[in-house]
Amino acid sequence: MTALRPSRAAGLGPMLIVALIAAALYWPLMLAANVGPAGRTLASGAELECRTALACASQLRNPVVPAPAQLAQGFMRLSTPVTSPLALPYNVGVTAGETLLGLLLATVTGIGLALLLVASRAFERATLPWLVASQTVPVVAIAPMLAVLLGQYGVQGFLPKAIIAAYIAFFPIAVGMSRGLRSADPLHLDLMRTYHASSAQTYRLLRFPASLPHLFTALKVAVTSALVGSIVAEISTISFSGLGKMLAENSRASDTVALWVIMGYGAVLGVTLVALVNALERWVTPWSRR
Amino acid sequence: MTYTNPSPQTGPAQPSPPPNEPPIVSIRDLQKIFPVPGGETVALKDANLSIQRGEFISLIGPSGCGKTTLLRLMADLEQPTGGGLLIAGRPADEARRERQYGYVFQAPALMEWRTVLKNVLLPLEVMNVPGDRLARAREMLKLVGLEKFERNYPWQLSGGMQQRVSIARALAFDPPLLFMDEPFGALDEITREHLNLELLRLWRETGKTVIFVTHSIPEAVFLSTRVVVMTARPGRIEGVVDINLPHPRSDDTREDPRFFTLATEIRELLKKGHA
Ligand SMILES: Nc1ncnc2c1ncn2[C@@H]1O[C@H](COP(=O)(O)OP(=O)(O)OP(=O)(O)O)[C@@H](O)[C@H]1O
Ligand SMILES: [Mg+2]
Repeated sequence: MTALRPSRAAGLGPMLIVALIAAALYWPLMLAANVGPAGRTLASGAELECRTALACASQLRNPVVPAPAQLAQGFMRLSTPVTSPLALPYNVGVTAGETLLGLLLATVTGIGLALLLVASRAFERATLPWLVASQTVPVVAIAPMLAVLLGQYGVQGFLPKAIIAAYIAFFPIAVGMSRGLRSADPLHLDLMRTYHASSAQTYRLLRFPASLPHLFTALKVAVTSALVGSIVAEISTISFSGLGKMLAENSRASDTVALWVIMGYGAVLGVTLVALVNALERWVTPWSRR
Repeated sequence: MTYTNPSPQTGPAQPSPPPNEPPIVSIRDLQKIFPVPGGETVALKDANLSIQRGEFISLIGPSGCGKTTLLRLMADLEQPTGGGLLIAGRPADEARRERQYGYVFQAPALMEWRTVLKNVLLPLEVMNVPGDRLARAREMLKLVGLEKFERNYPWQLSGGMQQRVSIARALAFDPPLLFMDEPFGALDEITREHLNLELLRLWRETGKTVIFVTHSIPEAVFLSTRVVVMTARPGRIEGVVDINLPHPRSDDTREDPRFFTLATEIRELLKKGHA
């Protein structure tokens, strides 16, 4: 397994090159995006410390694309004090918590559903179309209704968002897991049959381990869906914390620098969550060649 | 018991079993037809065979003549479309539920998420075999010369090594009957001869009944008490050759003039079916 390490390290090389290219292109693209609005602001006769549109492009109050210095300022302003419920770290934590709880709920339901789907063709025929239909309803449309509905039963705050996240994340897990449970090698099934293994043993010792690669592929899709779900839920329901709440607030205030900073935090959160699933996969499936 | 095509009898090979003991495998007019798109394949036709406890039977024949099908029927992994069979005096499904046999498949069929040792432990776990399972599994690995690889995963082993693990796995729970589908096909000559000797020793010491598929005429002659020669399209038993070579067999056996006579006899039967 150690022999495969270099290829993983080598995978970082091309990534770094792309990052360098993006960083090099950032400044000219930023100027190009802002020069128009800067020109208009100058023409309107506003009091500015800069003379030319190009010079003003990196100093706009609400830039289309913020300059690196503006981003750094915005980052400091929104990230401190670190423990404040108004600052980003706390709100990222809230969204991360909702997402992970949502993913957990989705995993439990998804695996449960998969077991039923695999056990009974009749159950599959009766429910699969409805499960598919459930996924065609846009989350944005269903979130406020669910929040109100859950509110009726006193479920408020953190939990409704996790449930909405779970609502869109359970589906890929149910599909991936039922495919995984059916993916056991026919020869292995024959082998278990020669041992006269019980159905429970066949699930525990064969079908379940055989399904793990499928389950983890599904989890990687599900975790990003859950993140989208919890942010959308925060935006479209009454919320007092979370990335979505901050996005909604700052977009109403047209604070574009803040929106960019929040977006950055969201991206880092997304990458971290996927990395977490990858780490879990390596821990649970040590036999894997990757 | 009548054979489809009785071969010349040359005399008893092994100390013959007590005359009144029922055969461990008894096959009567066995037939297996697979439906295939636009027709059917006759994988096995009118097979008759009776195997006594303690015999070492080799099945030999061209690819597609129904050797695997015959084993799978005996193992209750396929259902016959005609005729019948008894294993240890019971219907095949009952014998399977009583765990009368171990099956070495044509492919190793190891579970990739289990280490070598855990693969060998699998039947012991499933059957909840009492006693020191770990010691038993290690003993079996030692038998096939893989005790140093117990912590490895199957993908870290060569094809032949994987097949040896699957043999250790089939032996682990000590079944009275062994079905082996070309277990040594992927091995080099030296390892193969070594394992042939080990298998023979195990067979003589434990009194197991072995039903062994091979493509090698010398291997069949070297190992067996009787060789069942099969031919294809439709798959059927062409003849049964008694191997009247003395036991225990050794490298000298291969030099015995009777060894060549028997090999030729089998080759002639195979050719006859080919024509
Ligand atoms: N599940 C199946 N469905 C349809 N046809 C099958 C099936 N299994 C086997 N057959 C057919 O039955 C015939 C006998 O197959 P079998 O696997 O028993 O051959 P074999 O003697 O073991 O060959 P080999 O030496 O190549 O392993 C072949 O013609 C094969 O195509
Ligand atoms: Mg075969």
